[in-house]
Amino acid sequence: MIDIATVAFYLGVIAYSAAATLFFLDMARRDGSNSRAQWAPRLLALGGALHAVHVVTASLLSRVCPIDSLHFALSFTALIAVGAYLALRGRLRLFALGAFIAPIALTFLVGAQFVGQSSESVLGVSRTLLLFHIAANVGGVGLFLIAGAAGSVYLVQERRLRTKQRVAQMGSRLPPLDALDRTTHRLLLAGFPLLTFGVVTGAVFSHQLGSASSAESLRSLLGYATWLLLGGVLVLRKTAGFRGRKAAYGTIAGVVCMLIVMLLYAVRASSGASL
Amino acid sequence: MIVVVGLSHRTAPIAVREKLVLSAEGLPDFLRELVQHPQVGEALLVSTCNRVELVAAGRAGFESDLTQVAQACIEALSKRAPDISPHLYTHVGAGAVRHLFRVAASLDSMVLGEPQILGQVKDAYEVARATGTVGPVLHRTLPRAIRAAKRVRTETAIGSGQVSVPSVAVDLTRQIFGDLAGHVAVLVGSGEMAESVARLLKVAGASIIVVGRTLAKAEALASAVGGTARPWSALADSITVADVIVTSTSAPHHVVDFEMVSAARKARKGRNQFFIDLAVPRDVEPRIEELDGEFLYNIDDLSKVVSETLSSRSREATAAEAIVRLEAEGYDRWADAEQATPTIVALRARLSAALEAELSRSLRGRLKHLSVEDRSALSKMLESSVNRLLHQPTIRLRQAALERGSELLSLEQLSAAINELFALDTDQDAESSPDNTADLPEAEGSSASSLPPRPRVVASRR
Repeated sequence: MIDIATVAFYLGVIAYSAAATLFFLDMARRDGSNSRAQWAPRLLALGGALHAVHVVTASLLSRVCPIDSLHFALSFTALIAVGAYLALRGRLRLFALGAFIAPIALTFLVGAQFVGQSSESVLGVSRTLLLFHIAANVGGVGLFLIAGAAGSVYLVQERRLRTKQRVAQMGSRLPPLDALDRTTHRLLLAGFPLLTFGVVTGAVFSHQLGSASSAESLRSLLGYATWLLLGGVLVLRKTAGFRGRKAAYGTIAGVVCMLIVMLLYAVRASSGASL
Repeated sequence: MIVVVGLSHRTAPIAVREKLVLSAEGLPDFLRELVQHPQVGEALLVSTCNRVELVAAGRAGFESDLTQVAQACIEALSKRAPDISPHLYTHVGAGAVRHLFRVAASLDSMVLGEPQILGQVKDAYEVARATGTVGPVLHRTLPRAIRAAKRVRTETAIGSGQVSVPSVAVDLTRQIFGDLAGHVAVLVGSGEMAESVARLLKVAGASIIVVGRTLAKAEALASAVGGTARPWSALADSITVADVIVTSTSAPHHVVDFEMVSAARKARKGRNQFFIDLAVPRDVEPRIEELDGEFLYNIDDLSKVVSETLSSRSREATAAEAIVRLEAEGYDRWADAEQATPTIVALRARLSAALEAELSRSLRGRLKHLSVEDRSALSKMLESSVNRLLHQPTIRLRQAALERGSELLSLEQLSAAINELFALDTDQDAESSPDNTADLPEAEGSSASSLPPRPRVVASRR
C-alpha cells in the first residue's frame, strides 16, 4: 500500500510539473502550433488522478480521515482546485489559468509532505463539528485558489489591453476579461458560504478553547480579514458595480490572507502542535 | 517536373488580372482544352483576386520538354486576354516547385501569411481532379505543396494576429467580451471602415444600433448592417446599453465625452465597455481611459496593432522560407528518383511477361493437373520472385538518380546498360505492364542511404 501511495505521489509530481511546463510554454510560444498545449490539461487531469490515489491510499495506510489531518487537508485543497478548474475550463474558456493552477497544485502536493500526517485532536470541541469545519475550509480554499488565479490573469489581461502592448501576439491565449470576471464572481459565490461556515465554527472553537496565543489570534484575525475582503467584493459588486480590476484586487487580497492563514496552520502543525 | 505560368499582384494591376478571371463553370472546359495540347498532360488553375496561375506538367511526365509545356500554357492564357503577355511570368522545373510551395504557404501573397490561399490552392487541385486533368506528377506535387503550407502555418507564427483595422477591432472586442452573442454594439456616424467593423460584429453575434445625425442615413446604414437606427438625441442612452461603441463621425470635436461615459458607467454597474474610435479628429475624449472598465482604441492604436502583426509575420517569413526550401528539396529528390521509373517499369514488365509466358506454357503442359488454388499460388510466387529480383536494381537506379554528379555510374549509364542488356523499349514495355508502378520502393533519400555502398566504377570501364 505504501508503495502505491509513494509511486502515485511521485508520478503526480511529475504530471503536475509537466502540465505546468506545457501551460507556460503555450503562453510563451511564438508559433501557431498548439499541439503540445493540448497535452497540458490531460497531464493536469492525470496529476489530479494520481494525487487522489495518493491521498486515499496514504490516508488509509495511516488510518487518518483525509480531512481530519492538515497534511491531507492541504493536499485535498489542491485537488479540489484542480477538479474545479478542469470542470470549468472548457465552458468558460479558461485555458491559460492552468498556468497558475498546475504550479499551485504541485506546491500543495509537495508542501503537504512537510506537515505531519497525524490526525489532529482538539480537546474540548465537537469532533463532528471540527470535521465539518475543516471540510468547509478545504472546499472553500480550493475554490478561492482558482478565483485568485482568475483575478491574477484578469489583471495581466487588463493591463495588456490598457497599455496596448503585445495585443496581437497574446490575444488568443489569455481568456476574455468578462469570462475571467464572471469566473471569479461565481467561485466567490460558491466558496463564500463554506468560508462563512468555517469562520463561524472557528470562532465557536476559539471561544470554547478560551485563551489564545498571539499566533492563533493573528490566524483568527486573518481569517476574519479574508471573510471581510471576499464578502466585501461580493456585496460591493451587487451594490456598487464593483467589478473588473477592483474586484480582482479585492479577491487577490482575500486569497493572500487565506494563504497566510494556511501557512500559519502548516507551521503550527509541523511544529507538532494540535489544531 | 512542373511549370507555373501566370500573373499576380506583383506583375499585373487589377485591370489586367481581372481579364483572366474564369468562371467556375468555364474552368473545367479551359483545363480540358489545355490538356488536349500534345505537350501538356496535366493542368490546374489557381485563381484568386491576387493571382491567376496555371500549374502544368508534360504529357511524358518527368521526361517532358517543359519549355514547350510552358509555351502551351502561355498560349492558352494569351488566347483569353491577348495583351497580358508582358505581365506573365514563367517558372520551370525546380523553380516552379519552389514558387508553388511559396504561393501555397502564403509567402507570395499580398498580405503575408493570409490563410485563404491554402484553401484556394486546395480548391484548384480538387477542381482539376474532378475534371480529370491531374496526373501522376501533379498528384504528387500538390499534396506536397499543401503539406509544406500546413507546416509553415503550424510551425511558425506567420498566420497569427489580424492584419486589417476592422478585424483587429473585432479581435480586441473578443478579448474583452469573449462570445459576442447577447452584446450590444453602437455605431455612431458612418464610414466604410466603421461599417466593416459593424458587419463583423454582427457576424460575431452582436446586436447593432446605428446612431446618426440624419435619421434617414442611419436607417439606411442600419439596414445595410442588419441593425436598428436611433436618432442623435438617443446617443447617451445608446451608450449606456452598449458594450462596444464604434465611432466614425466627421465632427470637429468629441461627440462622446468623459461625463457621458461616467454617467453610463454608473448605470451599467461597472460592466466593461470598449470604444473603437475610427474618426479623425477623434470622436471620443481620451480621458475616458482613466475610468475602470473603459477601454479605448483609436485609429492609430489599431493601425499600430496591424503594423506589429505585419512586422511579426515578416520576421516569421524567414523561418517559413526555410521550411519551404526543405520541402522543395525533398520534392526535388523525389523527382530525381522518379526519373528512374520508366526503366524500372519496363524492366519489371519484361520480366513479368517472360515469367508469365513460361508459366502459361507449363500450365498447359506438364503442370496442367494443378488445381486453381495451386495455379494461383504459383502465380503469386512468380510475382513475388519478380519483386525480389528487382528490388536491388530498383534501389540502385533510384540511388543513381539521387546521386547525380558523384563518381558512381549515372542514371543514364545504368538505364542505357539495362535497356541494352534486356532490349527494352521503355515506352512500349511500360504500357504493356498491368500495374506499372505498383510495389516500387518509395524514392525518398532515406531508403537509398540505408543501402550498402554501390561499387565505384572507373571511367575506363564505361
